[in-house]
Amino acid sequence: MLAYTLTRLVYLALVLAVMSVLIFLVTQAMPGDVASMIAGQFASKEVVDAIAVKLGLDQPLIVQYGQWAAGILRGDLGRSLVLEQPIAPILMEALARSLVLAVVALAVVAVVGIGLGVLAAVRRGKLTDQLVSGVSYLGIAVPDFFWAIVLVLIFGSYMKLLPTGGYAPLSDGFLPWASHLVLPVVTLVLMLLARIARLTRSSMIDVLQTNYVKFARAKGMPESVVILRHALKNALLPTITVLAIDFGLILGGVVVIETIFSYPGMGRLLLFAIQRHDLPLIQATILVVSAAYCLANLTADLLYAYVNPKIRHGMKAA
Amino acid sequence: MMTAPQARPAVPPVTAAASAPEPAPLLDVRGLTISYGNARGTLRAASDVGFAIRPGEVMGLVGESGSGKSTIAMAILDLLGGGGRVESGEILFDGTDLRRLSAPERRALRGDRIAAVFQDPFTSLNPALTVGRQIAEPLIQHKGFSPRQAAARVQDLLSEVGIRDPRRVAAAYPHELSGGMQQRALIATALGCEPKLLILDEPTTALDVTVEARIIDLLAKLCDSHRLSALFVSHNLGIVNRICQTVTVLYGGLVVETGPTGRVLSRPAHPYSKGLVAALPRITAGRRHRLPSIPGTVAKLSGPPAACVFAPRCPFAEEACRSRPQAMLTDAAGDGVRCWKADALAGIPWPDEDAGIARDPKKAQPRSAPLVEVDHLRKIYGANRSILPWLRRAGTVAVEDVSFTVGRGEVVGVVGESGSGKSTIGRALLALTEPSAGTVLFDGADLTRRVRQGDQDLRRRAQLVFQNSAASLNPRKTVGDAMDRPLVLAGRADAEERRKTVAGLLTRVGLPSAYADRYPHELSGGERQRVNIARALATDPDFVVCDEAVSALDVSVQANILNLLAELRDEMGLSYLFITHDIAVVSHIADRVLVVYGGTICEEGPTGRVLRPPYHPYTEALLSAVPRLAEDGQETPRILLEDAAPTPGGQGCAFAARCPRKLGAVCDEQAPPVHRTDDGHRIACHIPLATLAERAAVFPELAGDAPH
Amino acid sequence: MTDATPVRPAPVQLAPRRRLPSLPVSLIVGLVLLAPLLVAAVAGSWIAPYPYDEMNIMSRLQPPGAEFWFGTDEFGRDVFSRTLVGTGSSLVMGVAATALSLLAGVPLGLIAGYKGGRIGEAIMRAMDVLMSFPPILLGILVLAVTQPAQWKAIVAIGIVYVPQVVRLTRAITLELMQEEFITAARLRGENAAYILFHEILPNIWPPLAVEASLRVVFAILLGASLSFIGMGAQPPSSDWGLMISEARPFVEQAPWIALCPGFALATAVIGINLLGDGLRALLDPRNTGAH
Repeated sequence: MLAYTLTRLVYLALVLAVMSVLIFLVTQAMPGDVASMIAGQFASKEVVDAIAVKLGLDQPLIVQYGQWAAGILRGDLGRSLVLEQPIAPILMEALARSLVLAVVALAVVAVVGIGLGVLAAVRRGKLTDQLVSGVSYLGIAVPDFFWAIVLVLIFGSYMKLLPTGGYAPLSDGFLPWASHLVLPVVTLVLMLLARIARLTRSSMIDVLQTNYVKFARAKGMPESVVILRHALKNALLPTITVLAIDFGLILGGVVVIETIFSYPGMGRLLLFAIQRHDLPLIQATILVVSAAYCLANLTADLLYAYVNPKIRHGMKAA
Repeated sequence: MMTAPQARPAVPPVTAAASAPEPAPLLDVRGLTISYGNARGTLRAASDVGFAIRPGEVMGLVGESGSGKSTIAMAILDLLGGGGRVESGEILFDGTDLRRLSAPERRALRGDRIAAVFQDPFTSLNPALTVGRQIAEPLIQHKGFSPRQAAARVQDLLSEVGIRDPRRVAAAYPHELSGGMQQRALIATALGCEPKLLILDEPTTALDVTVEARIIDLLAKLCDSHRLSALFVSHNLGIVNRICQTVTVLYGGLVVETGPTGRVLSRPAHPYSKGLVAALPRITAGRRHRLPSIPGTVAKLSGPPAACVFAPRCPFAEEACRSRPQAMLTDAAGDGVRCWKADALAGIPWPDEDAGIARDPKKAQPRSAPLVEVDHLRKIYGANRSILPWLRRAGTVAVEDVSFTVGRGEVVGVVGESGSGKSTIGRALLALTEPSAGTVLFDGADLTRRVRQGDQDLRRRAQLVFQNSAASLNPRKTVGDAMDRPLVLAGRADAEERRKTVAGLLTRVGLPSAYADRYPHELSGGERQRVNIARALATDPDFVVCDEAVSALDVSVQANILNLLAELRDEMGLSYLFITHDIAVVSHIADRVLVVYGGTICEEGPTGRVLRPPYHPYTEALLSAVPRLAEDGQETPRILLEDAAPTPGGQGCAFAARCPRKLGAVCDEQAPPVHRTDDGHRIACHIPLATLAERAAVFPELAGDAPH
Repeated sequence: MTDATPVRPAPVQLAPRRRLPSLPVSLIVGLVLLAPLLVAAVAGSWIAPYPYDEMNIMSRLQPPGAEFWFGTDEFGRDVFSRTLVGTGSSLVMGVAATALSLLAGVPLGLIAGYKGGRIGEAIMRAMDVLMSFPPILLGILVLAVTQPAQWKAIVAIGIVYVPQVVRLTRAITLELMQEEFITAARLRGENAAYILFHEILPNIWPPLAVEASLRVVFAILLGASLSFIGMGAQPPSSDWGLMISEARPFVEQAPWIALCPGFALATAVIGINLLGDGLRALLDPRNTGAH
């Protein structure tokens, strides 16, 4: 297990390094003059040149990257062009808010999705199964932003039950904070529920046909024990991996969701940066979100290895 | 380690004349009919099946694949699944009809009074739970043990099934145990609640022969000491002969014969039983003869039979057999046979195949240069030279310094169990894997190097017949297409002429030429294996590697394919490397035998010599594990090996850890010396040749079968 | 073998011939759902009752009725006509992006699976890096610094899905490489090209077709999302994602502007999903009529 973790950490560092190069290259060295795009179509040449100097665009690419990367390693993500502030504090605050959204959504998806999947697998071919399939189809049939609009319409505008947007810090009390989370979380959950439910269903169906489940039944175990102890533990292995991928989808999905619900997280920050052509902010945001995603994947892989005795003990023995 | 003679529990007195009232059967199955149904139709897996198992009795339920034997076992456990349904019949357990019980009532019996052991121990154990927990489960469920009490009982159970360190095994996960240990753990699980009836569904089929011998020995002892009744489902008559007092033979879902094991196997009454017994490859004196075989394929019923199910394959069948179904005829002793001609056929054996193909052994000893020369072959898998120090691996040795030759027209058998490196040797000979060291010369040329340089002509002269006949044919190509390609590659431009060649090849392997238009999934296993052979022949090879080529086939089909391979060898002058785990099969076809263990050759010699002393201790154990039927004569002591894994690539003898005749430290520390005799017999062992020669022959009847 | 005596052929019972598998229900329902959309995609601008960009200040935000079946938007444009014409844009986005990812991904996956070694390793590590980005962010990254355009969104989505296609192709190839019929092909001396194109590729298509149908769904949704945040199709185009985005400010007064394209999107997504499920059932080798 230790060797495995070490390998994965070395690997993560490499991936992050390559990623930073890619992000930098794509944004800073795209064909076309970055400075004039940032300044806008009608800017004077002086303004464009000033931006170029400010961004260090007059220096060789490798030097530009070196300075940027060195800054990141020191924890300095640069200064925002538009906000004229250091990026790191703004970004961390936004990241924290987005993570709350993502983690809550992921937790709900995991619990509800796995539950529905198991239910559908156990009642395979029956009405429950078809109901679960139908509902999960509905979830993925329309894009998340459409669900968001519908939810806002129903719960916000018509029923006036929940706030349709914005954010309340936890210091304002739990209820205001939580009520602002409900609609974005539900939207994210609707988007992801189907996949988890269907995956759990199919892996559960596979596991229920294995010999060890048959043997557990031959031992006279009650069906609840067979399903929960013998089958589910093995059926969850593929689900863990997909949950990590879903975490990435959520992190990406928040760009849209946060915009609709005016939720001040990473997604809105990124969109703001893109619309205002704030290059350092774009780079930093994408890098941080991607790094968070990589960490989530690493966590999932380690969790997978931990839950799967074949890997856990295989590593110990080697 | 010990060589205790097989303790065969005495057959309970079942004479009809006995004045004492017959004990009520523990399990009494009556008129059991089971169907599998889906949208495409119904398959009758069992028709009107009846049998009884008395207390303390082990009954064998014997048949080939598709005979319905496992279905019946699952029906008793109420675990049919897959669309299976009991149509009618009674399953009386201790006087109660299980079918009348509610699902929870049946579940309460399962694992408590009726326990089961399945075929594949690895897949029967849950990979996510420790072995100890899985054994404890039924104790907690049925006997109300606390987890602590259960854990203590688990240790006792593991000791009882012959596990030396129960504490470690209980804490282990299934993948950390060997196949033999896993099967012992399953048996311990089954014994936990002291059941009255054991359902054993092919409990040793997935295991190596030497491990199988130990598990059967254990099961026989346990059944004896606990007065257990058991239903032993098996396709292997030799195993059934070792452990069962009575036997029920199934064919096409019908019971065709039932009676005491000794009588059924020595004097089978039903033609199908006669055929099964005759087709079993055995080590006997007249080994150059063709194996008797049963033509055709297993019958599948969709409804009640309209005629004798076996009639299409029966050499004794006449008009009456084909016009009406057969009733079960029961004699005074309770033995039954489903054949109206049974009495007329008593004593008439299954017909021998047309003889005259017995081959002249001298033909196989050519003076010319050998066709294949293997010189100090070594293969290591999984070596890793990573830059990360904790990832570096030295790799696993699959083959360790192996040298041998295959002469022109010679059949060399390679015998070994899983992990012996036998398949790797075959793949290296065909340049499918690159040796880590050593050379393979084919007709004097280095095949691996030639192939690497792009010379495919030489490669086509060496072909392979696979074990899994289904996987070795591209599912999206017809049989004809699959056989056409080698001809195209050989530069045969004329499509019409190629089609004729394909038809000729199909006829040659005993298939109708119309099969060229079939897809692989439309053929039976035996037919696919014939196609495989025909395809291998299409490149006009000199040398064919048969890698477990008959292992996946039913006994009756296996005999067919073995006969075909033998004929092709004689007529086309082919050389074979015949790789198998079954020393009885190899003795039928091989001129010379290599016995491999842990990647090394422990014994090599002409087949007749390898079958007689002096033996390498491993060969001796393998031979003693060969199944024997009652008619073969007295049981010889079997040599039971430890469960330990081979230790290839080490300093000493690879077999040392399991060797019952281990001398001491020298076996672990030094490579064994090779004893050679002038007739090409060699044994790699620290024990002096003279001492090895003192052992009694495992097959005394071979004594007269001179090697020359 | 010419003068060899023929072996007595074993009497063989003919196995049942292959029956045509019946079409799965989901496949038929999927096709039924998709058929009108395909018609709209091809002929949308001809069958639409109004030109998709015809503005009419007099009839702004009209509710659905006889004149405008699904109402009008804030410029008085007919929502139904716009949705109809937008079909092409949305479907093309999904199909083109998927085609792009297949075009790049299948060869890379085949090479990685067949060749293995350093080349295979390099390909897979590159894909790992691509997969380390959250999907939509990779698209955004590509689009962030240039002027948005629909073709750029297509390329971006295509790139996003290349790693998945490579991984799947490689996994199937590796699995097939272990198959004995590939070994048999090597033994009879086939070259790499024949093995790849005649032995492996025909066995890869079925799972790839299923995968592709799912990819099209994701690509349509991702494309709609990109259009929604202004990085895909540009006004005055009538792309569904863009239409929903433009409808947002008016959603309380005129929900129909968003509902019509939303409904169309749902039909497309469900239709393609069912098609994929149907394909999976149809191409499953266990569903060939033989037991």
